[in-house]
Amino acid sequence: MKNLLYKEFTLAASPLTYIFIAFSVMVFIPGYPILVGAFFVCLGIFYSFRNAREDGDVTYTALLPVRKSDVAVAKCLFSVAVEMISFLLCLIFACIRSTVLVSVGPYRTNPMLPANFVYLGAVLVIFALFNSVFISGFYRTAYRLGGPFIAFSVAAFAVITAAEALWHFPGLGVLGGVADGRTHIRALVFAICALFYIAATLLSIRSSGRKFEKIDL
Amino acid sequence: MKNENVLEIIGLCKKYPKFTLDNVSFSVKKGEIMGFIGRNGAGKTTTIKSVLGLVNPDGGEVRFFGKRMCEGESEIKQQIGYACGSIGYYPRRRLCDTVAVTRRFYGNFDETLYKKHLSDFSIDESKRPIELSEGMKVKFNLALALSHHAKLLILDEPTSGLDPVSREELLEIFLSLANDGVSILFSTHITSDLVKCADSVTYIKGGRIEASMPIGEYTDGYRLVRFDTEPSEDERRVLHGICRSRDGFTGLVRTCDTESFNEKPLAQPTLEEVMVHLEMQ
Repeated sequence: MKNLLYKEFTLAASPLTYIFIAFSVMVFIPGYPILVGAFFVCLGIFYSFRNAREDGDVTYTALLPVRKSDVAVAKCLFSVAVEMISFLLCLIFACIRSTVLVSVGPYRTNPMLPANFVYLGAVLVIFALFNSVFISGFYRTAYRLGGPFIAFSVAAFAVITAAEALWHFPGLGVLGGVADGRTHIRALVFAICALFYIAATLLSIRSSGRKFEKIDL
Repeated sequence: MKNENVLEIIGLCKKYPKFTLDNVSFSVKKGEIMGFIGRNGAGKTTTIKSVLGLVNPDGGEVRFFGKRMCEGESEIKQQIGYACGSIGYYPRRRLCDTVAVTRRFYGNFDETLYKKHLSDFSIDESKRPIELSEGMKVKFNLALALSHHAKLLILDEPTSGLDPVSREELLEIFLSLANDGVSILFSTHITSDLVKCADSVTYIKGGRIEASMPIGEYTDGYRLVRFDTEPSEDERRVLHGICRSRDGFTGLVRTCDTESFNEKPLAQPTLEEVMVHLEMQ
């Protein structure tokens, strides 16, 4: 698996995947739906899948001395690694925005979801959808990318819309708060999202490996 | 131990909407060079893909060194070298970049041997596959497949696109590898290559194995009959395929049926003549 991951990062990955990690910095844009940054990170990973397909990576890897299912598992783990790097950046930037920059004008009057625990949880939900809808969908055929990515995009924008809208509903204002003494509620939401990410990703890895094993290349 | 089977294919079946691989069985012994012949679409690549696990067969079994792929996929693949007639992967990456990754997967990748093959084949590692001719792509694939001391080489049309000198060099490499106990299964349309180096031939037609035996034994089983005019209906019934040529017609007959053509000139057919006539049946 170590060699497969090395291959994913050095040979199969599109440079756009690494460049798009930089969209994590969108956390700092005030008055903007900052969750779109997570979508762009997924778009970056999508480019690696597309590159790999165009480069014949699937067959090349399946012929290497590895288990066929590990070909798909390695691609999933590569995606998880990129997501975690991006999440770490989002976490760091969100901490800066919510502490050092919390009283800066544009952030105080920001009408959009702030960079709080709910935001971080929603980032993980978007990544979970990418893993379970796009990656798992891609490994039904190992060549059809469009359908699974459209399905993921619809789901991701539904989550972004919901996350941006929910905290404006009566009784749900806590979701859009920062340093208001109710962080534990938002932390609980984050924990639920994190569990959802872990479960969805593990299921996606397992099902991608199984589906890929049954595919005729 | 020369007789031990390195590759055993038993009753391999795969059904597609318009093609069926039907009960394919044959085996390759240690140190044996086997040619795998058949016309386009006969099922050679499907068989090779099924053997390598790229295609999931509907039935049958493939055993490498006595083991099924599921009993140790990565260990088995370590001992197999595969090359096809082109490079279908990373067309815009430098060859050295692809090899730098590939070699990590093979515990016994031999850098010296790899460099030797590169030098023998005059391959410039800094080039990209899209910059190579088809022949050079074949050579690169072979250099890579030959560099990790594989015990079994599975080659899908390795000589296609090669110039006659390179083909000769390659066949010599095959012979020397076979002497060292390496088994080679290679599909080809160039049957003269098989005559030069293969011990046996497996002939697939319409997804079914027609024959799998030593080349001499196979061609000895037939005789070529020459006709000045088109063969009669009675003669056609005994013949296995008729081909037209400038001088008349030729027909293939089983050696045991030659008494019907005692007055005609009979000749020992080449492997290509056998295959072509059988396909014209």
